[in-house]
Amino acid sequence: MIEEIRQTCRTLLEAGTVNVVIAYGQSNPDGPVHPIFVTKPDDVEKIVWNKQCFANLTTYLTRKEVKSLGKAAILVKGCDARSLVVLVQESQVERSDVHVIGLACEGVGEPELAGKCRVCEVHMPVGVDVTIGSTEAAAPEGQNRYALVDEFMKKSPEERMAFWKQEFERCVRCYACRGVCPLCYCNQCIVDKNRPVVIDTSATLKGNFAWNITRAFHLAGRCVSCGECTRVCPAGIDLRMLNASLAQSAEKHFNYRAGMDPETPPVIGTYNAEDKENFIR
Amino acid sequence: MSETITQQALRALVDEWIGAGTKVAGPSYVKKDLCQYVPLTSSAELLLEGFIHPRNSVKDFFFPRHEKIYEYTLKGHEVELADMTPASTPQVIVAARPCDTAAVAILDAVFNWGEKDEFYTQRREAATIVALACVTHDSHCFCTSVGIGPDAEKGADVMLLPLDGGFEVRCLTEKGKTLFAGRTQPSDKTAVIPEGPKVKVSPEQVRAALEDYDNPLWKTATLRCLSCGACSFTCPTCHCFDIVDEGNAHGGCRAKNWDSCQLCMFTKHASGHNPRNVQGQRQRQRTQHKFRIYPDKFGEVLCTGCGNCARNCPVSLGILGTLVELCAEMPKTVGESK
Amino acid sequence: MSETEKTAFEPKIVAYVCNWCTYLGADLAGTNRLEYPSNVRIVRLPCTGRIDFNLIIKAFEMGADMVVVSGCHPGDCHYTAGNYHARRRWTLFRDLLETMGIDLNRIHFAWISAAEGKKFAEFITEITDKARQLGPYQAYREICE
Repeated sequence: MIEEIRQTCRTLLEAGTVNVVIAYGQSNPDGPVHPIFVTKPDDVEKIVWNKQCFANLTTYLTRKEVKSLGKAAILVKGCDARSLVVLVQESQVERSDVHVIGLACEGVGEPELAGKCRVCEVHMPVGVDVTIGSTEAAAPEGQNRYALVDEFMKKSPEERMAFWKQEFERCVRCYACRGVCPLCYCNQCIVDKNRPVVIDTSATLKGNFAWNITRAFHLAGRCVSCGECTRVCPAGIDLRMLNASLAQSAEKHFNYRAGMDPETPPVIGTYNAEDKENFIR
Repeated sequence: MSETITQQALRALVDEWIGAGTKVAGPSYVKKDLCQYVPLTSSAELLLEGFIHPRNSVKDFFFPRHEKIYEYTLKGHEVELADMTPASTPQVIVAARPCDTAAVAILDAVFNWGEKDEFYTQRREAATIVALACVTHDSHCFCTSVGIGPDAEKGADVMLLPLDGGFEVRCLTEKGKTLFAGRTQPSDKTAVIPEGPKVKVSPEQVRAALEDYDNPLWKTATLRCLSCGACSFTCPTCHCFDIVDEGNAHGGCRAKNWDSCQLCMFTKHASGHNPRNVQGQRQRQRTQHKFRIYPDKFGEVLCTGCGNCARNCPVSLGILGTLVELCAEMPKTVGESK
Repeated sequence: MSETEKTAFEPKIVAYVCNWCTYLGADLAGTNRLEYPSNVRIVRLPCTGRIDFNLIIKAFEMGADMVVVSGCHPGDCHYTAGNYHARRRWTLFRDLLETMGIDLNRIHFAWISAAEGKKFAEFITEITDKARQLGPYQAYREICE
């Protein structure tokens, strides 16, 4: 499969179809896999594809440093393709400006498969220009996508609050969660606005609650559960729980799943006059 | 000849400190797969082996991520100010990695430069640091490349070296001697610590490479940087902070918060202009500061090779990788001619 | 909390209301001389669609014991659909708060029109009673210490 990936990228670069390929690379064979930007056809040899390819590369499509390189081709796994759908829906990426190379994926993480991969339904990416590889892998039947949340919700509200206190206590506000998220593309993040200050920048519980609630809710109905925020958090905060809870909510109330279908209007930003309102007096 | 302590005795000693009201901090698993330096409530939480480097650094205990400088209350048209007293509760940092303790020694210079930072110095004076030598390392470690090693004593009051299931204890300062007085047994063995990671770059080489300020490498090699502060906040030597006012109509405080040169707001002017507007410039700044600007002013490199930047980076862009790339580009003669 | 403190406790309630319906409803309650507890602090915003969830958090941060969000009935929005958008957002937001263990009894949503001065007064009376029963919102205050 890797040869086919490299060959596809080489052809694109040689033909001048794209100026850069956003791909996975590895500085040394035992080292971690990280994003690379291939601009020369011969450098396609640096591209790798293995169980360590966690990164959701679509986060680079909205970055000015990367945009300045010219037209891009990008490698996407099934989960990453979903975030691309949202980016296109939200007019952040012009679909025809990107050449999307989908990779058949049986999950990342070794020896243990990443949590998101165990419930993955998009082993074959959709909405791509070309797919490389194939897989028979499918989601386990009758699975509960939100088992994690359901389990967590069995705790009492006090226990849940205590859990989040413990988690957010460790937050240092490095904003790695924001940096890595393909859908946190705001030119100016609300937390960087200081006239007026909406969210305390101090890494106190108060500021950390406000920040993490805000970040989670700004992704309501948008997060595609790529799990990157949780993976990169240096304080090991279980952010996916918040995102999953909102995803569950969007599915339960509005039968909406982010990034599954470019034709379905986004849940936030649209409405239905018949929406339920049993909590409103 | 050496002085030794068994692991059991050391744990008992740690519990004794905790019992006496000393704040004790050390590496511990706070949750699965997450080892951090944290305040300990019992020695059972303390890790003494089987970890490489905690995900944070010991600077947390001297230079916390958020610190109030003063508080104010508004009463009618009057403003009342209240100074915050720097904490001076005795604290012991136990099982700190040598790269972390060395960092504290380096930070002393900057926090006592010109004006003394009372908050930092008070905590520092009230603290005793018990370092733990490293017997293993991972691919991110590069202490030996910046003149430190797995048993470097810089900044430590006591050095513990693993020996026969216990530790050889080397008391390096008066503070350290007091802490361990009468607790160690003489032994005829001495600990042998394996060599650390292979030397990958030299500060001189890096210094020379950094002279080329406009090196195009800053643009290409750092393209994947996501502009977060994970590297700086988990770095034992990064010490930049921001001053913020937080409050409402009734009162509030002025606080000192960690800041990172990698965040887009770091150099943004009130006018909206940002002199470091792209990520490459911010990455260059961080490296220049650590290997050229800081050494020029304080005489030592602002990096202890702990590798936390790479360990915590969402895209594995550690400072070592950048340095290696930077130096590989240099003509061979440059490093040697120095 | 002792019994005397409990009786002495006056909850702080922040009401974010829309300019066109609920604010006028509150005004009508006033001009009709309808009595309602003075615990409520009304903050007028253009539309429920403008009521950012950060405002709700901010209220709790500043010591509110209860937050009320109210605007025009569905179909009556001055801006056509602001309240429909808001409704969707609140649906999701409530679930997020629930996951975080934040007490949903502390946040109340209502549609109160410009003609419903009586509903406004009754609603505020009712939730103030409830806030009194619940006591101070200690859990969020602890976060903000």
